Amino acid sequence: MADVLPTVAPRKSLLALERIPAPVWVLGLLLLAMPAFASNFVLFQIFGWSFILGMIALSLMVLAGYGGMVSLIQMTVAALAGYVVAILGTSGVTQISLGWPWWLYIPLAILIAAVFGTLVGALAVRTEGIYTIMITLAIAAAFFYFTRQNYGIFNGYTGFNNVIPPAWFGVDWRQAVPFYYMTLACAVLSYLAVLWMSRTPFGLALQGVRDNPRRMAALGFSVTAHRIVAYTFASVIAAVGGILLVWQNAQVTPGTAGIPQVIDILVIAVVGGLKRPIGPFIGALIYAILSVFASDILHAIGMSGERFKLVVGLGFLAVVGFSPDGVLGLWDKYQARREANRDPLLGGGR
Amino acid sequence: MSTLHNLSTRHPVGTIVILALVVGFAWLIFAPWPPGLEQVMGRKRVFLNAIFSGVTLGALYFLVASGFTLVFGLMRNVNLAHGSLYLLGGYIGYGVVDATGYWLLAFPVVFVVVGAVGLLLQHQVFRRMEGEELRQTLVTIGISIVLADLMLWYWGGQSYQVLSPQWLSGPITLPFVTGVRPNGQAVYLSYPLVRIAILFAAIVIGLAMWFVLNRSKLGMLIRAGVDDRDILAASGVRIQYVFLAVFAFGAGLAGIAGIIGGTFQSLSPGEDTRFLLASLVVVIVGGMGSIPGAALGAVIIGLAEQIGLVYAPTYSVVFTFLIMAVVLAFRPQGLLGGRR
Amino acid sequence: MAQARTAIVRTADRSAAERLGSVSTGNALELRGVTKLFGALAAISDVTLSVRPGERRAVLGSNGAGKTTLFNCVTGDFLPTSGTIRLFGEDLTNFPAHERIRRGLRRTYQISLLFGGMTVADNVYLACLGVSRGRFSLLRPRPSDAIVARAHELIEAVHLTRARDTLVSALSYGQQRQLEIALALAGAPRFILFDEPAAGLSPTERSELVAILSGLPDHIGYIIIEHDMDVALRVAESVTMMHNGRVFKEGTPEEIENDAEVQELYLGGGHG
Ligand SMILES: Nc1ncnc2c1ncn2[C@@H]1O[C@H](COP(=O)(O)OP(=O)(O)OP(=O)(O)O)[C@@H](O)[C@H]1O
Ligand SMILES: [Mg+2]
Repeated sequence: MADVLPTVAPRKSLLALERIPAPVWVLGLLLLAMPAFASNFVLFQIFGWSFILGMIALSLMVLAGYGGMVSLIQMTVAALAGYVVAILGTSGVTQISLGWPWWLYIPLAILIAAVFGTLVGALAVRTEGIYTIMITLAIAAAFFYFTRQNYGIFNGYTGFNNVIPPAWFGVDWRQAVPFYYMTLACAVLSYLAVLWMSRTPFGLALQGVRDNPRRMAALGFSVTAHRIVAYTFASVIAAVGGILLVWQNAQVTPGTAGIPQVIDILVIAVVGGLKRPIGPFIGALIYAILSVFASDILHAIGMSGERFKLVVGLGFLAVVGFSPDGVLGLWDKYQARREANRDPLLGGGR
Repeated sequence: MSTLHNLSTRHPVGTIVILALVVGFAWLIFAPWPPGLEQVMGRKRVFLNAIFSGVTLGALYFLVASGFTLVFGLMRNVNLAHGSLYLLGGYIGYGVVDATGYWLLAFPVVFVVVGAVGLLLQHQVFRRMEGEELRQTLVTIGISIVLADLMLWYWGGQSYQVLSPQWLSGPITLPFVTGVRPNGQAVYLSYPLVRIAILFAAIVIGLAMWFVLNRSKLGMLIRAGVDDRDILAASGVRIQYVFLAVFAFGAGLAGIAGIIGGTFQSLSPGEDTRFLLASLVVVIVGGMGSIPGAALGAVIIGLAEQIGLVYAPTYSVVFTFLIMAVVLAFRPQGLLGGRR
Repeated sequence: MAQARTAIVRTADRSAAERLGSVSTGNALELRGVTKLFGALAAISDVTLSVRPGERRAVLGSNGAGKTTLFNCVTGDFLPTSGTIRLFGEDLTNFPAHERIRRGLRRTYQISLLFGGMTVADNVYLACLGVSRGRFSLLRPRPSDAIVARAHELIEAVHLTRARDTLVSALSYGQQRQLEIALALAGAPRFILFDEPAAGLSPTERSELVAILSGLPDHIGYIIIEHDMDVALRVAESVTMMHNGRVFKEGTPEEIENDAEVQELYLGGGHG
């Protein structure tokens, strides 16, 4: 009897394929058609940058949103991948760069960054909760100071310039339109990867570890192992973002992962929202727009254009103070209110 | 005493190794070096200077980190704005000394002003998010960004140095032999008096904190709260007052450390992050929430930095980081940290 | 009855469990001198206890007697201060919790410890996943997967089929207790620790619980903490009395029930 498997409808929670709703189609078409009406500057500097920052922040979202671990190492992992690309590939610093082919240095860059992220994770998960912030921040700082002092491998203060993407298909990928599509493709892929992961056995277990580590251990899961593997997964996404970032700037320096940059990734992810993988991209877009237009906006309201950081800090404080789930949280609240208003039982009030 | 005894019976080999290290270290510091050793390690004066700078730097780190660790232990709040309080204290101290010329006057003023800032933060911000550790910590990040930019706005990007008073300037000769002249006369180490004063002050403040924590009623409350906040909440004490007092004190201490740092180093944008990171590392190494741990961690990190700077300049950061990684790997709660 | 049994633990699991069991000899669970200190308080002290394979044992004792602490030490929720713990002959005193679970140990919690933000199905799925391969799989489960099928069987066995897609936080208290049981039955359990599974249940729910427990295959032994003597006597063949962190009496239910000391303790102030 027991061998007769019950014929069951797919369980909604784990197995339902996302039906693709209409707004997503519209957004997708809009993004694909963007080069038709947006300027090169907007494509390269705002959207390209947003996709990259979004991916790095997405790797934080994976750890914080699904794993309950707020890691500040993601920007460092990204920068390390960028460094490896510069060191193993070609750059303006010919005495260090090895000039290997791209099919070797790109996988290696991702691999090395993933190993580094995993090791940091292995150290960080030995402690709990908010300790993670301290430890990852301290390691990020150590990386920054180390790259600044080390001239043999990381070329110290100056870092590497002239780090450009290979000319696949004879295209110059640093031109605005190709770069836009390249970063868009990577961002969409990593977004889908995270969405997919969240419904796999590993993703479900990771969320279980976040909610109730003690029970997870009592069900036979190694809590530590799941957390560490989450770092590996997140590091791969951060590494891809890091390589793109280095290509965009055509350079990598210790300042690529300086303390302010490390903190900015956290700000982006929190402002966008850590509950769903789209949040980091929203946060990144806001951040990119703000930082590009900050001086204009500040001048318009009669302040010096240098006060960008003040605006970012105050905005971040406002989000943390009033909508801890970020912009996504605001959106959800708005949706919920609309639902409530439509619900006849709750009356048509408010 | 009994803990020492326990240690020696439970880990005989480890105890011997530690004893040997301590004796060897003491010999390095007090005895005149034979020429062979000078060939390997360089001049003894250089070594002694590194040690002294390390310990003094450790004293400064301790002043910053002890407030950080106390706040963390009691409120589970990783106050990432702690470095900003340090820098703010330094700038205000500079202003006071510049205006009045009295170095000592800067201390009470800064302690009160920065302490009040801490009071305000605790009362207006953190109290409203009680129990939400992560959110509190995120708020401290926002505050540090805002404070950093406000300070940059007001004080600009240049660096300041707080002038030390006449009576503290100049070197002092210490009873440590650095070498022997050909005529048999011993040469003693001379070292800036102001740094000795700082070291002395840090020790006094550290001891005072230890006494308050271990011998007073308030200290008992705080320690009970660090061990188990539920007990403290259940005991009917107005826990909010204890939080306020501790936060204000920790902030004030960071401010004072800012004056000291501004006196024997300098103040500029970025120093806030530097001292925040130093506090993080010190507290991770020493043990989160533990004052003696902060002292131990501060001295270890201070020494590692200065010795590294003298003997392996490229890798001094790596030393600090390695110490932290090793501690995390083998004793994640820190050297003197209790169970979590 | 036979069908009820197979619904809970499959025959394939059973033979696997027997194969594992046959490797070791002697007791299913064996504690020697287990002590757990919380600061100065000895929650349990010097507990020595052995349970034969397939034996069903009830643990009685007043509030704070140390029953839950005993469970926590066995499952590795925390390590005992001293003493050794063996499961089917294997010393797992210093094993992490998940390693013990993978060796066939299971438990329920006195205060339900469930994933409130997930559906019933996901809770049980996690329990089945935890003791099988593919914990790190990045392939999405399909309805035909063995683990999914197994999860559905378990949900059915504890009568939660209708609540399958409900969020756990929306379940009634009784349903949550049933789910606790389901989580402990996942995989191929060999020995289960039930921490007051009947507390707070209605009479109907209680008899359902008794049916589930007595429907477990014979090779599965368990310890059940139970304040209600009636329930305890129906599902256990031997009884251990605990008092102040120590084992106070052991025997058959009749012996314990008729023991003068036990009666005095239980009736006079034992509940206080
Ligand atoms: N994590 C803990 N920290 C400190 N003390 C604890 C802890 N867990 C249990 N205790 C103490 O250990 C003693 C035994 O508790 P335990 O929960 O094992 O009792 P119990 O027999 O399960 O009681 P009950 O019938 O109420 O469930 C109690 O005095 C309790 O306060
Ligand atoms: Mg209990």
